[in-house]
This record gives sequence, C-alpha cells and structure tokens, in this order.
Amino acid sequence: MTMLGYQNKVLRVDLTKKGATTEPLRMDWAEKYIGSKGLAIKYLYEELKPGIDPLSPDNKLLLMTGPMTGTPIPCSGKLSISAKSPATGTINDCSIGGHSALQIKYAGYDAIIFDGALKEPGYLLIEDGNVQFKDASELWGKGSHEAEATLAEKYGHDYSILSIGPAGENLVTMACINSDYYRQAGRGGIGAVMGSKKLKAIVIKGTGGVKIPNIVENTKKITEILREDTLQEDNTFIYDYGTTAFLEACSDGGILPSKNFSDATDENWTKYNGDVLLEKRVGKRGCGSCGLGCGNFLKFENATVEGPEYESIAVAGPNAGIDDPEAIVKFNQIADDMGLDTISAGDTINFAMEMTEKGVHDFGIRFGDKVKYLEYLVLMAKREGVGADLALGVKKLTEKYGGEDYALHVKGLEYPQYEPRGSWGMSLAYAVSDRGACHMRAYAPNEEVFAASIPPYTAEGKGEMVYNLGVFNAVKFSLCICDFWATLSYERMAELMTLITGREWTEQEMKEVGARVLNIARAFNQREGFDRKDDTIPKRLVNEALQSGAAAGQKIPQEAFEDMLDQYYAVLGWDKNGMIPDDMICKL
Amino acid sequence: MKITIQLRGSLTKYFQGEKVRSVEVPDDCTAEEALKTVGIDWTAIRNFGFVAVNSRRVMIYDRLKEGDELKAYPKISGG
Ligand code: SF4
Repeated sequence: MTMLGYQNKVLRVDLTKKGATTEPLRMDWAEKYIGSKGLAIKYLYEELKPGIDPLSPDNKLLLMTGPMTGTPIPCSGKLSISAKSPATGTINDCSIGGHSALQIKYAGYDAIIFDGALKEPGYLLIEDGNVQFKDASELWGKGSHEAEATLAEKYGHDYSILSIGPAGENLVTMACINSDYYRQAGRGGIGAVMGSKKLKAIVIKGTGGVKIPNIVENTKKITEILREDTLQEDNTFIYDYGTTAFLEACSDGGILPSKNFSDATDENWTKYNGDVLLEKRVGKRGCGSCGLGCGNFLKFENATVEGPEYESIAVAGPNAGIDDPEAIVKFNQIADDMGLDTISAGDTINFAMEMTEKGVHDFGIRFGDKVKYLEYLVLMAKREGVGADLALGVKKLTEKYGGEDYALHVKGLEYPQYEPRGSWGMSLAYAVSDRGACHMRAYAPNEEVFAASIPPYTAEGKGEMVYNLGVFNAVKFSLCICDFWATLSYERMAELMTLITGREWTEQEMKEVGARVLNIARAFNQREGFDRKDDTIPKRLVNEALQSGAAAGQKIPQEAFEDMLDQYYAVLGWDKNGMIPDDMICKL
Repeated sequence: MKITIQLRGSLTKYFQGEKVRSVEVPDDCTAEEALKTVGIDWTAIRNFGFVAVNSRRVMIYDRLKEGDELKAYPKISGG
C-alpha cells in the first residue's frame, strides 16, 4: 500500500569507492517500523554483520527521517543518526534537533546510509540529487563550531551542516555529531563512527517538498492540533525555561546527583538554577517545524551557548562539585566544540575526581576544580596527557585502575543525571535501555517522582511502568517527534500518521510498532551477545544509601532490582535470561 | 497552623500569578487538604505534578506541621 509523507528514496553513499546511488525505501519495513528510530534499527539489523568492529569501514552510519519530517506537524524536526556503538557494542540510535532532517527530506531522501570509509578526510555536499565528495584537509583538527562556520560561510546559512569535532576525528568513544552549532546526536560515540569514516561533515540543502494527502484540509487540521494541543501550558513551560526547569524539581525530588552520584542534593543549587541562568538569555531558537522552541541562547562574559540543558548543568554542576554558572556554560560550549557528549565526558571526569580524592588513582583533579574541568575536556578530545586515559570512559577506566564500587554506567555508557535511588524505576530503565544507560528510552521520574501519589521507592509495578514508557517513546521517536510535546498520546500519533500518510492508523497499531521497535533493538543486541548479565545496576546504588534529600536513606536492594528485571522481561515475553524467543524474532 | 504554599510554573495561575502565599490550615492536615483550603483540588488539574515540603518531595497524603513550606509543581516531562 502506498503511503504519502515518504520520499520513497534512500541515498547510499559508498565512502570507500566515493560513489552514491539511490534506491527505493523498504516500504514493507516502513509499514512495520514507520521511520526514524525504528526503521533505522531495522535497516541496521538487516544490513550489519554481527560482531563487526564499530570503528571499521564495516559499520554503517545511517541518517533516517520519518514520514512527518518536513511537514508542518509540530515538533517533527528531529533526525535519527544511528550505527553500532563503539562505546557499548550495542545498537545506538541518537536523535538530533536543528534543521538537517528537513533538508534531507527536501533534497528528496528519507534516509542516507554511509558505508565504508574515506581514505583522506572529506565532507559530503548534497544539493538535492547532486552529491559531491569534497576535501576536508583544511577542516580536519578544527573544532566543530569553526568547521560549521567555515562551511556556512562557503555555502550559505540556508544549508544544514552536520559535523564532528576533534573527539570524533580521534575516535573517542564519547564523541558526538553536531548541527546548528549547539544541537547534538550525543551518545554512544556516534561521532567516532563518523570520524572512523574520515567524514568531517555533511553539508546539505534541499529545495523540494513533501507530498501529503488533502493538503489544504490536512494543513488546517494540523494547525488546529498545534494550537489546541501542542501550544497548551502543559508543554509551553519548555519554551519559557528549557530543560533548566528540571533542576529545582530534581533537587526537590531527591534525584539531582552530586559528587559522582555519592549523594542526591546540593545545597548550592540555587547558584546555577534556571532563574540564574536565564538572566543571561539573549535569544531563543527552535528546531525546524517546532512549535515550542526550547532553545535558549545564554551569554556570559566568557561563555556563550545554546542551552545548557539539564543534563549538562547537572553533570558539570552538582555532580562535579562545581557551583559557578559561567563555568557550567563554558563546559557545555567547549564540549560541543570539541565534539564530546557532555554526559559521558562530564561523568568520566567526575569519576576521576572521586578516584583522586579516594587515593585510588591520581588524575590530578578533585571535586570543584572548575579550571581543570574545562582543560581536561580539550585533552580528552585530543587524547593528550591525562586526556588519553579519560577518553576511555568510566567502564574502561575501572578495568585499568579500579573504582568499580562507584562507577556509574550500563554496558559502558555513562549514567545520565537522574539518580535512581530516588526513582527506582530509573535503575531498570537504564539497565534495559537499548544503548546502555540512557534516560530517553523510558523516563521513569515522570511517573514515580514528578507525581503526587506514586511511591518511587518500591519495585512493585515498575517492570510494566518502564515497559509502557519504553513502548510510547519507541513509537514517538519512530515518528521523529520530540520529547517535549508532553501531551502527545497514542490517539494523537495515530491521527497524525493518518493525516500524513493517507492510510488509516489506529492506536493499537501505534502500540504494536512501539513494542516491535523495543524487540528489534533487543534482537540486535542479543545477536551481539548481550543478555541479562549485561542489564546491570551499578554497585553504588545497591550498597550505599543516600545521605540527604527527599530520598535520604534509600538504596536499591539487588533482589528488588532483579525483581524489576523479571517483571520487565515477562511483560515483553522474553525468557528469564532476557532473551527474545526465536518465534518472536522471526516476526520482526 | 500557619504554613506557606508556593506554586511553580503554570500552577501560579491559581494564585493569580503570585508565587507564594502564607496561609492558615487545619492542624495536622495533609498536603492535599492544605491545597484544598486555597481552592486547589489536585485531582481535577490534569497537569498537576507533585508536592514537596521544605524542598523534599512527599506524597500528597503526607501530613504537614506548623511553619512548613509546601511547594506544588506542574507535571514535568521529557528529559
Ligand atoms: S521542543 Fe526543543 S528540542 Fe523539541 S523540537 Fe522544539 S526546539 Fe527542538
């Protein structure tokens, strides 16, 4: 059955041979996985050989849009960038804002798949159907911001640019991909995959459009949805505050981590809270097609950034023992420019601070040292001096120097900044997330902390809760819709799909897509050898009770965690070892 | 007993844009009952989030004491 909204075209780029071809999108897969996250994982599941080295030319880098990309559907401007992760060895799909997804679609493609690797640094210029390989020797070694500015100057500011910084070039497995200067596909070393292909940037401009059915009538309906649903106050807090709004709520909720997750409060949080940061606001920005526009430009005397997001504030603030808002903003700016994921880079330095303070290994940095904090980022991106060690990330550092008792990661991906002892379901969400510890797969605090009558400190019902959150996000991200449309429902997603594709979608089908996406991601990881033994909880959360804050006295007993895992596997129909039965895999 | 009630984000509309009020509530009342005294029925507010007492998240049916600062948040989502 034909579905509108799609371009029905994939651009395949063979970097080794410097050739580009097009082919039809697998619409039979699109029926089952829709687009973005889900469809990208399906492609990688089918096309990647098990056991490949993620930093070899055998890995593929996949840019995937969805049927809503480039349409007026609110909050639909996100691009999925995925590959096998060099940080974890799992599947890794990232979501990046900005405008690149729209340009890809307007250039006539649903997806771009990069295969092989260039011999010398290069970048790709895509202008509709015209694809050119360009030399990037002048850009190699430059920060992501300078690279983007140089290319924007050369081609014009109406081109979208995806680029890597020195961290990606140096194959640091916490390297990100940047776009619009301050938007990132951040996690799992996706930037290192691009670096391994010697691809400094992708520059793209499209001049076409997207076909949807009954354009006049449907656009009117979409505008009504924007006005009546997206732009209601449940969602618009994100315009006013961005994710800085989470800081106070997380502090009161007992889930704001401090000093490498040794506790969950920081008495100094008011020094860098949202109100303080937003006093420095000089501008606003949003992704393409967004009605909410969460981006805040802040300008301090020595630092400018779009953000910082909650994650970056928390990791470089309380979790690092730093309370200077300008240092936090500068951290964000340098990490973006160097092409480093703020979460993993920050967590790794925080871990090193604790290692130093405990006398386990001297990394030359202690909690609160904001000067070295910023210097170390650059060293990590360049793998120089102490940065060569820190670039390994928390898991590999524990293998080298110890400190496992306070190493916060799952499958080698460092912990985001929501402390699970104050939100037990989050320990499960991190453990079973398809790419290691990620907060975007199932956001448990929303259900059990930022809720008036649900107990956060129990295992009961948490398997089903994390499953439900996971299915919902899996389908939302497969539709390429942003997280901040908080009032979005299955019913609404089905309605939007119907408006865009011209084929009737139901709520039930949406739920089925979500469950299928969870399963295909798990199937990918299972094929790579992952099972229950890898769905872990860090020792600190089991052995050490929080000392202060709303969740003071809380730790998560190992049996409670195992109980949550059992519940989760059971809802999905997986076996006790977390394996998907063969008959389920056949249907994916 | 006297307590203060602080509303965050979009909930401030229930205080006509004010953030904090000092209010008299029945002794030993719950957070839920305290909010009712200022006309806020949390069960009827779709985007009601959670409550904290003296900057510590509590359950809506937890009891308050003299001088407590009760804070009510709207729903927060995303990450
Ligand atoms: S709410 Fe923010 S992140 Fe989401 S689409 Fe809009 S600008 Fe982008």
